[in-house]
Amino acid sequence: MDINDVLKLLDAKQFNQECPHCVREINYAFVCDLMSDALMLLKKMPSHIGAHGALVTGLVTNQALRTAEILDLETIIFVRGKTPAQSVIDLADEIGITLIGSSLTMYRASGLLFKGGVKSYESVLEEEA
Amino acid sequence: MDFQIERNDIANAGTVSSLTKRHLKKRGLSRSFVKRVTIGVYEAEINVVIHSYGGTANLNIENDYVEIEFKDVGPGIECISTAMQEGFSTASPYAIENGFGAGMGLPNIKSVSDEMYLDSSEDGTTLRIRFYIKDEDYENKPINK
Repeated sequence: MDINDVLKLLDAKQFNQECPHCVREINYAFVCDLMSDALMLLKKMPSHIGAHGALVTGLVTNQALRTAEILDLETIIFVRGKTPAQSVIDLADEIGITLIGSSLTMYRASGLLFKGGVKSYESVLEEEA
Repeated sequence: MDFQIERNDIANAGTVSSLTKRHLKKRGLSRSFVKRVTIGVYEAEINVVIHSYGGTANLNIENDYVEIEFKDVGPGIECISTAMQEGFSTASPYAIENGFGAGMGLPNIKSVSDEMYLDSSEDGTTLRIRFYIKDEDYENKPINK
């Protein structure tokens, strides 16, 4: 799904508009507030099929960005109206991660993304198997 | 390469793993291999930040393996076998607020690494993890390999 469609779907905004290295597409998403859960589960995702992933979270800190960076997730969607600090936005620009914010709850945002065709990481793995 | 890791410096936690990722990518290693190493390094780095009084990391990249050693100053791990269980955590509310403390750190480090050495006392903890590099882990083989 194109980032512009995601922004419309979630009534969201992009925090780092000028990010030169950021991607404009989301193919699959993973939802969590505990970063170790993402690290534990998404390590199984082969990089060649796990392109254009998004992390949906309420954690608006550098640690969400570091987790996304390690897992090759290129977009973070902050939910529940959370706004990152400027230092977090600056780090996103530096490491090339698109930051999006929506006031929707995590459940609703995830449901809309799923209905819109953004896959879960399980379905990406199942398709590959 | 040596790195200093400060106690409770959650804002900068992830710096060691991020730099490790850059060094490994420069060596032409595959995204899958780089991800495996950086997950282990990041979890270990977070552990030093949230559980210890501060410590160091030493990264050693050879042609056939990557090894990183973390040494920290107390309080140590009371029971290593318990700490290795998935879901067991002694993390503070501060760590949990910052997205950690799920009790997955050490099990995750063990699962991604090829060798793991862990020793702990009330004076501190040493964790050494090694990742063997196979030919297929290189996307671009360096000329001098």
